[in-house]
Amino acid sequence: MREIKTVTILGANGAMGSGSAGVIAAFGGAKVHMLARDVEKAKQGIEAAVASVKTDTIRARMIPGSYDADLEKAVAESDWVFELVAESYEVKEPINTRIAKARRPGTIVSTVSSGLSIGRLAKAYDEDGQKHYYGTHFFNPPYKMILCELVTHSGNDKKVTQALGEYLDKVLGRAVVYTNDTPAFAGNRIGFQLMNEVAHFAEKYADKGGIALMDEIMSGYTGRAMGPLATADFVGLDVHKAIVDNIYDNTKDEAHETFKLPGYFQKLIDAGKLGMKSGGGLTKVVKHADGKREKFVYNIKTGEYDPYPKFDIPFIKEARQKIKDSDYKGAMDIVKNASGFEAEIARYFISRYISYSLSLVGEVVDTKENTDGAMGFGFNWVPASAFVDFLGGPKETIKMMEQSKIPVPKLLKDAKEGKKFYELGDKLDARSLFKG
Amino acid sequence: MSEKVFVLGGEQTDFQRNWTKEGKTFMSMMREVLDDALEKVGISYDEIKRLNKENRVAVFVGNFDAEQYANQGHLGAFLTEVNPALYGVPGARYEAACASGSVALDAAITHIRAEDYDLAIVLGVEVMKTVSSSVGGDFLGTAAYYDKEAKGVQFPFPKLFGKLADVILERYELKEERFMDALAEISRINYANAKRNPKAQTRTWFMNKEHAMARGGDNNMAVGGRLCITDCSQVTDGAAVTILASKDYTKEYAKKTGRKVDDIPRVKGWGHRVAPITFEAKKQESVGDKYILPWTRQTVKDAYKRADLDVKHIDVFETHDCFTSSEYAAISAFGISEPGKEHIAIEEGTIDFGGKKPINPSGGLIGVGHPVGASGVRMMLDLYKQVTNTAGDYQVKGAKNGLMLNIGGSATTNFVFILGK
Repeated sequence: MREIKTVTILGANGAMGSGSAGVIAAFGGAKVHMLARDVEKAKQGIEAAVASVKTDTIRARMIPGSYDADLEKAVAESDWVFELVAESYEVKEPINTRIAKARRPGTIVSTVSSGLSIGRLAKAYDEDGQKHYYGTHFFNPPYKMILCELVTHSGNDKKVTQALGEYLDKVLGRAVVYTNDTPAFAGNRIGFQLMNEVAHFAEKYADKGGIALMDEIMSGYTGRAMGPLATADFVGLDVHKAIVDNIYDNTKDEAHETFKLPGYFQKLIDAGKLGMKSGGGLTKVVKHADGKREKFVYNIKTGEYDPYPKFDIPFIKEARQKIKDSDYKGAMDIVKNASGFEAEIARYFISRYISYSLSLVGEVVDTKENTDGAMGFGFNWVPASAFVDFLGGPKETIKMMEQSKIPVPKLLKDAKEGKKFYELGDKLDARSLFKG
Repeated sequence: MSEKVFVLGGEQTDFQRNWTKEGKTFMSMMREVLDDALEKVGISYDEIKRLNKENRVAVFVGNFDAEQYANQGHLGAFLTEVNPALYGVPGARYEAACASGSVALDAAITHIRAEDYDLAIVLGVEVMKTVSSSVGGDFLGTAAYYDKEAKGVQFPFPKLFGKLADVILERYELKEERFMDALAEISRINYANAKRNPKAQTRTWFMNKEHAMARGGDNNMAVGGRLCITDCSQVTDGAAVTILASKDYTKEYAKKTGRKVDDIPRVKGWGHRVAPITFEAKKQESVGDKYILPWTRQTVKDAYKRADLDVKHIDVFETHDCFTSSEYAAISAFGISEPGKEHIAIEEGTIDFGGKKPINPSGGLIGVGHPVGASGVRMMLDLYKQVTNTAGDYQVKGAKNGLMLNIGGSATTNFVFILGK
């Protein structure tokens, strides 16, 4: 692979474009052509890039430009063209046609798509172009979230893939996860499965606490800083819909039905209530005249917003205290042995998450370390393999899965008892992802 | 003394973690690091119970300021909360500002040399992200003479070490540009080294020489005279454990674990000196001396003498780079260069990772992070890793002897230890 000295960013004014450009200009020391619809937007992207990595030293090597005036010239002198325009074939394909005409042989071209087919997008290129075409799925904000899913397709060259992976890892400081060209790749496929199925449960148990209850059951003691539905509200319900629809339409696996978008999500989207970015969605925060803020949650049954409730669920309290004391196995013992429907739901989703993560090995990724890395670095969720260890090993985990009527993946059936199942420990301390 | 005190290993927490954000405390940090250290070294709680019955084991806790950061004193007794196996085990907390870890090590080493105990667990711990950086800066001011040097001063320590930079520049009549370039190079090296250390606070942070040189402005603000953000180590939450042992116990341990006693490193020398507490008094006292920090130099000389070694025998250094100016002054204190010529050693790459006398392959305080009471113990752990060839990606090739310098206050309390096989 050619040394990466000059990079073109397409979509330079978006959060992902500017953030990625900042990382490339800073860590990679590259000259970066920042292209947007117009030069003013590109200039805004440069300032956002500087702010994201907090170094003025990159400003001088970032050159603003527009698609109309500068694309061909910038691409022709680039070693890597990183395209981050809107997430649709209709927008990306015409741009690819222009890049394909202007690129020199050996130039890497990649897209930040979180779900489109990399193989289909690669078709805009000649043989050399296809060989050098990748998905480089950065996460937001790129400086802080270091995951990069490096998505390959059948036309890639293994040597180029290896060299690009090393560049992303050693030079840009990314935690690189290799994934195959499958819908939503690894992180979003696993993450949105859980989020969407939890959303269905919120509807099913709407009269028992709905959205707020489900996030309470799946809160920090289950290995995530933010509840799954709070996460959906954070990324935006429209983005959530695009991802789960894509997976639903293009996959057929054991969790297929769980990818159907819940009706109330569609209702909220239709009403323009997309989540935090639009001032409200599954939850909303109201600022009162005295300056105090109050949080509300969407009532799925009534369509109104109710004050966000507090719950007092004894096993969750006890598990949280164990986590606070860094007794992770103790916390999982409480989860395993607690009674009541909330505990059953917790066990169901922990089982589902582990099972689904491990079931994708072979299809989406080659090793479980890739799904573990995707969830640990990309979502800040405790990786599935680490959960197996905290639950007391494969046998105990299988027992819980069987009780929750969740399929047991072969990888777990074949695992050796008494040996650590999680192998990323030196890179990512999974304990840090539990919140007490 | 080199035949009396052995180091069996240990462990540290990931210094990137923010335990308050995780909803955890100094206590959970102690529990994790001690469990990890014992597992890594291969000593069980049952073994501690056995040794305790014969009064052969003790614990030494290094901590600077849990009273203010965590509203908790009496940390020496807290290992009993980690595991009941530690009930009855003699334990106390040791404090000497940023050298708290070293004063705990010193106590442990002394007890083993005196043949009081066979096994010493030294645990350094500090939780610091419980408060804002300005409140924390004020707490840290108590490591100086608070009333005279810190009261009402925002971020007193960068200012004190900024003054050290001023004195170096004036006393040795250095060209400012060349001196500041050398300080930036110290930053660059420490951050670059930290990238290889999976437990370093800054391993994902951006830093290069260009940025370190770009002092001033919003992204690299001046915080203490000439010193800017990139010249400073940053506080963090963290804990580290090293486990020390007598020769008798080391023989038992080596037999049990299938190792050779000769492969287990020994504490070969130590030095401990206390300079006048205020920076102004230090400055006045050093007028006419070749060294601006003569007591730091003396501490190193004491350690060399006790170890019967010299700088030529030391393959790797871990130093107290709380600021780039403190690492700069340490270069001549170690004897790597003449005083006033430190910049030449830096320019020639002598202290770089691949240089002849690498300093802070771990990343040092600037790269690994500075949980105050844990830093000295972490440095000893890093020397252990280096001389046992277990430092992974940050291993200095063929390191046999290592030296650490840990200072409290504005180079007030000075501790040096030499570890080797």
